[in-house]
Amino acid sequence: MSEVVATFFQVPSEQPHFQAFRGDTSPSFANQAELECAKILDFYGVPWQYEPTTFVLEEDADGRCLEGFTPDFYLPDQDLYVEITVMKQALVTKKNRKVRKLQERYPDVRIKLFYKRDIERLAQRYRLELAS
Amino acid sequence: MAQLGREIAADYAGREPLLVAALKASMIFAADLSRSIPIVHHIDYVELAGYDGAATGGHQQIRLLKDLDAPIEGRDVLIVEDVVDTGLTLNYLCRTLGLRNPSSLAVATLLDRPYRRLVDELPVRYVGFTVPDELFVGYGFDLDERYRNLPDLHVLRS
Repeated sequence: MSEVVATFFQVPSEQPHFQAFRGDTSPSFANQAELECAKILDFYGVPWQYEPTTFVLEEDADGRCLEGFTPDFYLPDQDLYVEITVMKQALVTKKNRKVRKLQERYPDVRIKLFYKRDIERLAQRYRLELAS
Repeated sequence: MAQLGREIAADYAGREPLLVAALKASMIFAADLSRSIPIVHHIDYVELAGYDGAATGGHQQIRLLKDLDAPIEGRDVLIVEDVVDTGLTLNYLCRTLGLRNPSSLAVATLLDRPYRRLVDELPVRYVGFTVPDELFVGYGFDLDERYRNLPDLHVLRS
């Protein structure tokens, strides 16, 4: 009887094959909510990119970035950035401030912030399985 | 409802629009809307496969479970929706029906949450109510397939 002594190759478990993904490298999601949102966009055939752009919010006198912001998703057909947050309210305030700063510095950039409550609504509407 | 019906009748005067209702939640709204439009029109239904993250694993895409009964080329199509939220479902439906060369394509929705839109450029022309971010049941809206039959629209508090 043979016995498995070592794993030669492990099939990736959760990462699906995305059809509407328009990036170069495979996305590495920070949390389950981001993954599920990517799956929803893919299901509906809405092209999306993951963290394609980092916006400089503050820089020093030499032009070095002091504060940046990288929204989670970019929907090229809608020219819209989407930031997902499942943080607690205190941390959401910090993220709100970043979004405001982004809009002040880049008024032509369209961004929407999806809060924990929004994600929960999506979860209910689309029957997502979110990690708590 | 009567106001929506009058607006639609005025806009489509001299034409015979086709109301396309997306099953299941919009069925009661579509029935009431149809009865409030005092011009000749037709009605048909589509049903879309719902997203099930656990089952699809991201490999499937939205598709029609029930398609229209007849071609719509050259027709004036009015999609009847229960609610427009992110716009993802409606965007798919508009793209799919738009490829069939209708003469015009517009949307009537009972409820609208424009502040949650991810897809903005949708032909939403008739809106019953712009509503807050609440869950609704009754009047065709369900919670796990229950409560669709409630005659009125209710806000569900968890």
